[in-house]
Amino acid sequence: MIDKALLSLPGMKKILLISIVIALMDALLIVGQALLLASSLTAIWYGGALIDQVPVLIALVICFTTRQVIANIRSKQLDAYSAHLADSYRSRLLQQAFNQGPSLLQKQGTGNFTTLLLEGVDQIEGYIRLTVPKLTALFVVPIILLITIFAFDWISGLVGLVVFPAIILEMILIGHTAKIEAGKQHSEYQRLSNHFIDSLRGLDTLNYFGQDKEHSNRIFIASEKFRKATMRTLRVAILSGAVLDAFSTISVAAIAVLLGFRLVDGSITLFPALFVLILAPDYFRPIREFASDYHASLEGKNALASLQAILNQYDESSTAGMPALPAVQTLSFNQVNYSYDSYQALSDISFDARAGEHIGIVGPSGSGKSTLTHLIAGLAQPSEGTITLNDTPVSTLQNQSWQKQVVYLPQNPYIFHASLRDNLTFYQPDAAEEDIQRVIKLMELDELIAELPEGMDTLIGEGERTISGGQAQRIALGRTMLNKDCHVLIFDEPTAHLDIETEYELKSKMLPLMKDKLVFFATHRLHWLANMDRILVLGNHSISDEGTLDYLSHNSTEFRRLIQELG
Amino acid sequence: MVNNRSSKFSHSAPSSDVASAASSAPTSAPTSVPTPDPTSVPASAPTSAFAWFIKHDSWVKPYFAYYKKTLFLALLLGTLSIGFAAALMFTAGWLIAGSAEMPYSILLLNLPLLFVRIFGVGKPVIRYAERLTSHNWVFKMTSHLRKRLFEALNTNGVFFKSTHRLGDALGLLAEDIGHIQNLYLRTIFPTVIAWIIGLGLVIGLGCFTWWIALVFLLLVVIEMGVVPYVSALINGARQQQRKHLTTQLYADLTDNIIGISDWISSGREHDFMNRTQDVLDDMRHIERKAHRFDRNRDLILQFVFALGSVAIFAWAAWYFGGSVGGSSNWILAFVLGYFPLIDAVTPLPQAATEASAHFDAIKRMNNIGTTDSKTAESKTHASKSDSKKSTGKKTTNSKPSESKTPVSTITEIEPPYTIKLDNVSFCYGATPLIENLSLEIPQGQHLVLLGKSGTGKSTLASLIRGDLVPQHGSVTLGGLDTRLLKDEAPRWFGVIQQQTYLFNTTLRENLLLGKPEASDQQLIDILDSVGLSALLKRLDHGLDTMVDEAGKQFSGGERHRIALARVLLQDCPIIILDEPTVDLDPKTEKEVLETIFTTLRDKTIIMITHHLMGADYADRILFIQKGSILMDGAPEHLKETNRYYQKLWAFDKGLSINTNSPTTSADR
Repeated sequence: MIDKALLSLPGMKKILLISIVIALMDALLIVGQALLLASSLTAIWYGGALIDQVPVLIALVICFTTRQVIANIRSKQLDAYSAHLADSYRSRLLQQAFNQGPSLLQKQGTGNFTTLLLEGVDQIEGYIRLTVPKLTALFVVPIILLITIFAFDWISGLVGLVVFPAIILEMILIGHTAKIEAGKQHSEYQRLSNHFIDSLRGLDTLNYFGQDKEHSNRIFIASEKFRKATMRTLRVAILSGAVLDAFSTISVAAIAVLLGFRLVDGSITLFPALFVLILAPDYFRPIREFASDYHASLEGKNALASLQAILNQYDESSTAGMPALPAVQTLSFNQVNYSYDSYQALSDISFDARAGEHIGIVGPSGSGKSTLTHLIAGLAQPSEGTITLNDTPVSTLQNQSWQKQVVYLPQNPYIFHASLRDNLTFYQPDAAEEDIQRVIKLMELDELIAELPEGMDTLIGEGERTISGGQAQRIALGRTMLNKDCHVLIFDEPTAHLDIETEYELKSKMLPLMKDKLVFFATHRLHWLANMDRILVLGNHSISDEGTLDYLSHNSTEFRRLIQELG
Repeated sequence: MVNNRSSKFSHSAPSSDVASAASSAPTSAPTSVPTPDPTSVPASAPTSAFAWFIKHDSWVKPYFAYYKKTLFLALLLGTLSIGFAAALMFTAGWLIAGSAEMPYSILLLNLPLLFVRIFGVGKPVIRYAERLTSHNWVFKMTSHLRKRLFEALNTNGVFFKSTHRLGDALGLLAEDIGHIQNLYLRTIFPTVIAWIIGLGLVIGLGCFTWWIALVFLLLVVIEMGVVPYVSALINGARQQQRKHLTTQLYADLTDNIIGISDWISSGREHDFMNRTQDVLDDMRHIERKAHRFDRNRDLILQFVFALGSVAIFAWAAWYFGGSVGGSSNWILAFVLGYFPLIDAVTPLPQAATEASAHFDAIKRMNNIGTTDSKTAESKTHASKSDSKKSTGKKTTNSKPSESKTPVSTITEIEPPYTIKLDNVSFCYGATPLIENLSLEIPQGQHLVLLGKSGTGKSTLASLIRGDLVPQHGSVTLGGLDTRLLKDEAPRWFGVIQQQTYLFNTTLRENLLLGKPEASDQQLIDILDSVGLSALLKRLDHGLDTMVDEAGKQFSGGERHRIALARVLLQDCPIIILDEPTVDLDPKTEKEVLETIFTTLRDKTIIMITHHLMGADYADRILFIQKGSILMDGAPEHLKETNRYYQKLWAFDKGLSINTNSPTTSADR
């Protein structure tokens, strides 16, 4: 019921203290308010004049309003605290993304990561703001009220004392059954709730099979099934709230009835009876409020847990702080392994490379080509083994001074939602205009620019002007060309998805760019291999052969088989 | 007695923000508020949104009449639930007072004793029933809504994906339905119930004294009318603003995160960290103001409620007071019965604040119906605005013209199924995609369409199937214009798409799409013929195996084979393959193509591809360039006679090493 992660947040002690003090004051004000109300009602009941009660009524309004004022003070403190925490979580997450790069994002999923950063942190914020006051009220208010009730009437106090643990027990019990109930139907439930989205995703497929008209009825049927399943779960879920409600109203009724009997036989007078009756609903209120919105708080709790899991996983210091690495002369991998989630993606990788060399990487799909390019690009960290850069052994290339001299060109290079100019100068925001123009010429981007309504300043990328795969590659190549610090180029299947004519055109743009740079080129397109000085053949997560195209074509059965398959 | 419910502004901000994440990013500067979106209700006018709703809505209102009884029951139970809470304290107050008179017999108190028990037990029971009834009603309505939404979107047919950017549209639609549910559960129901109770209180008091009724009418109007209205006006606008900022944040962040390796290579750590900071700051600023507003609003709400308690106290003392006990008992009853009513009031401002987002969603849904059917009507007319720019934006007018109308009269076409394009031209917006193209495809021919992306290969396929209608010229199948085929097109045309979509249901259901009446044996045979018998054995539940979301448990090759099986079951004479193997590695690609061309050998095949790999299986290769035919011939023929083709072929096989002078145009 109580989340330890919440209580151990930094600065939480102070906030808890403020909350407890305010809950204490609130409880005292509730008592004061009940005393005022009970006393003036008693006076009026005994035939007193209304005019005499005016000061009491003013005091009552003050009590009532003061409670809201102190609640506002608490909210303000909590808002500030949770906002500060949320801001720091957001920047820490961004820092992690920058430090860990694609390896973190692949594990988390891009969508999940952004959702966590925006909505998840929002949920955490809401979780803190809602839960802390409820939690402190739960521990403070009922105790004080119970003590007061005991002081005035021990029988009513006894009712309250007996019921409270029963409520807690009931909450645990029903929460447990609801969980089991929900778990039982989870997969079916999940499927039905996705059915509608699933249908929309496959709408064109349904059309191609002429099933679209029929399908709207299926949607209705599935939706009705979903309704029934949901209602089954709700029946149990809502029950917990209902039983809670029942405990409190029935207890109030019982207290009223018991008070009534004792008033009749004269063992209690009107004032204490009235006071206890007024106080009784407030005694149960904190627990009712704690139970409401429980689902919402659950979301925040889960978001907090997954956020902390990410943040605690890695060292948080910026990779900028690592010792600077020199410009590459030679690079060698020595028995490097890479594994994640106990899956050995690469084992025993050893090779040497020197500046200006072009190295091809081939292998069947799933052999670890992409993982290897990630390791070389400094986008992932080897699990074992050493890497030597110009005679300096390093444990990882995940270092900003290395990352800056590397450009990684994937199959689908990413075009930022920005102007074409900003996309071109991404690595070199201060690039000179003449350099930019030179690159545009070389990459033959003029035609594209002429088509764009605002030329170079037209926004491109997601949700804007569509850019074809070939154009995207050209922009990415131009971007790389403008990058003065680039000494290493890493390609991962850069032309595999392009049509043959575009590929043909692009190749002529890529070859000059590769000149004098250390190039790693993962591909299954054979024509590239002729342009490589050396080829690493990956098979079964390790390097099975290595040599020139000529050598491999004659001596490597592994390579020959691969070529055969690639046809 | 007071409910210190803290506001949930940020917490309950609609999560539809996720949905609109990646795309349709507002491009306005962070500080300027909402990008003009024709579908959104002006944020600052909750009443106008409401008025619009009353006048034009055709999505929510009709359902008030649907399941009328259940709706009425839900409202009744809701009213009773709060009414019972008040009644419990009311009778308890009277009971205490009555007992304090120490009547000679407890029997005199029987009635209040009974009522205290009834209300004490009844309140939770009714509340439980109310929550079940209202949820059930809303879910029932949702079933109809989903069906209707699907039908509205289906007018768009096969172009759904190109006109609705998926992540965006799908999420939004799902969220919008959620909005409608919440509109009922969190706005309409609580508001109606609160007003019933408030007016009930006013009328009840009016039976005693006219001026106290007026006082309470004023309080009710303030608490249930003015405060929620102002709240919706101010915080509703903020919520909209915040939503727009969130949309922008999602776009920016997604952009950053997907391009992370470029950011890392650029070393611009500072820029990366700060790119979203301004928007985050703006959002924080709005939130801070919203929270402050909420706190002040709650203070006013509580203060006015406290004034109400004083008013009822004063009135009851004046009206019933003066004697010891007797009628004075009613004073206690009225005063104690008043306090539980706060539960009816507190949810209202938040409900009103959220309402503007709900109305927004409803308006969007209303628009879906109309814009989609409008485009369906516009048929052969070219779309109006610049198409390329607005593709992917939600429902704009610029989508391809379509031929779908509900009724089709075609019953038979005589074989042979020769496809004939006669002088066909097609424009997409202002961009001509196909120009004066004539082509004849005899039945049984295996045709491969090659060409750069964007040269109109897919458009050509859509024209053939009749999904698109040319502005000039005609497309006929066996002499019949294909635009007339409409819903009957699946009888003659099968389609395998670039990305095979597998539904999240059983393998059997997925296959039965092709032929709903097929027997299990037929399915097993078909799976065997496409080389999936090993897969079927591997699956624990055979044909009953559930296909995960988007078929992720199958490999790319297996997915394509399932799609092939589905099309084989459909058993139509012409199969269109749209880049069927683009995601596969070369080895699997080769195997899948082999199976495709073996199993479909008797049919007409039109395959769109960008590699030469499939070309070897074809009888005929067609190169499309900028909407016209560049090359046309059998592969062997082209290999011998066409220099450009020779060059590409050699390049593809890795034979040509000299690629430094690709003056392609000179070779043509």
